[in-house]
Amino acid sequence: MEFKRVVGTRRSVRWLKPWRQVEREKIQVMLEAANRASRSMNADYPRALVVNRDQVSSEIRESLRNPTTSVELDLAPTYIFWYFDLGYVDGVQDRLKELVDQHALSPSHGWSHAYVDSFLWPQVLKPIADNMMALMFMGATETGIAICNSLNAAVDQGLGTCLHAFTAPEKVKQAFGVPDTWIPVWLQLVGYPLEEPEAGGQRPRRPLNKLFFEGNCDTPWEEDLEVTESLKQDGMIQAPGPFSYREEEVRMLSQMFGLPR
Amino acid sequence: MSATKKSHPYFEYDSVKIWIAGAKYPVDATNTQESTLELLEKFCVAQGKNPDELVQSCLRTTSAGDLTISAKARREIDASIDSFVTENGYSGHQAIMLGNQIREFLIHNGVFMQGKVSFRN
Repeated sequence: MEFKRVVGTRRSVRWLKPWRQVEREKIQVMLEAANRASRSMNADYPRALVVNRDQVSSEIRESLRNPTTSVELDLAPTYIFWYFDLGYVDGVQDRLKELVDQHALSPSHGWSHAYVDSFLWPQVLKPIADNMMALMFMGATETGIAICNSLNAAVDQGLGTCLHAFTAPEKVKQAFGVPDTWIPVWLQLVGYPLEEPEAGGQRPRRPLNKLFFEGNCDTPWEEDLEVTESLKQDGMIQAPGPFSYREEEVRMLSQMFGLPR
Repeated sequence: MSATKKSHPYFEYDSVKIWIAGAKYPVDATNTQESTLELLEKFCVAQGKNPDELVQSCLRTTSAGDLTISAKARREIDASIDSFVTENGYSGHQAIMLGNQIREFLIHNGVFMQGKVSFRN
């Protein structure tokens, strides 16, 4: 699928085929996409624990349920528990010097081994490592970027996926041997969509001029309507719901699983 | 048909009106509505509340004076629904489906909750 169409097609898919497993190779593609995401300091922020639903004990599955996430846990065949590792600063000094050696960070932009060792590490990175609020902020932000790649990789492969609140982290930790330094971020549920590909239509978004600015924050970004039109052609901007069939689709799916109308 | 529809006293409760309107039961599903209302009535009786009181019991007022869903009450009512269907002799698909019908009443009245999924063999 073309990149723009992947971006436009991604949405939270909550109806998944519980009977169809996701091929392991497709999960690997998602993990690799996450691993290739932008990451400051070239640090290894994200951690992911991939678990097949049917291998999760009933006790753990019950503990993962909460009033807002229960149906999806039954429908999705694959769970990906996303974390970041608080120890992500460890080794950053060496990783940055790797980038210097690779000429990705070069003297043209002020980079050198000496700068990393003598200034960046003691004056910038070490203080971050000692500041829990900064550690948490960066860990969550950077892991979110990785998860975004994973979401898009799922869409690209025809999968449905959705992020959910991460409940019962202590029980998950005990059951799967999650290290103490891993901080929970999101539970990504993955499977094959049971609903139409539109999944209710592209989710409503406010226009660019409500969110983005140019030059200063008093000047809203003005859309070039030709660009907007080309994005519609390319699938980044898709038809919003509600579609005429959607209500009936949800009703039939609900009936299939004995769920509320 | 409308005479039948109005036959169950629960149709008079605001919360039931909200539910029926929200769930959009088709006109010819009056019998379904009646049987669902009977189920709700049995549950309400078991809880010692009428339908409006049942919804209210899932809510609480915050210190700022806002009405919100009580996580504790919701958890308890959710568990009560499961117990109720089991105690009434239902199991498997039917138990899940009937439990979710009671949840449906609460959901349409703003009490966000999710039930279990039934995989009928």
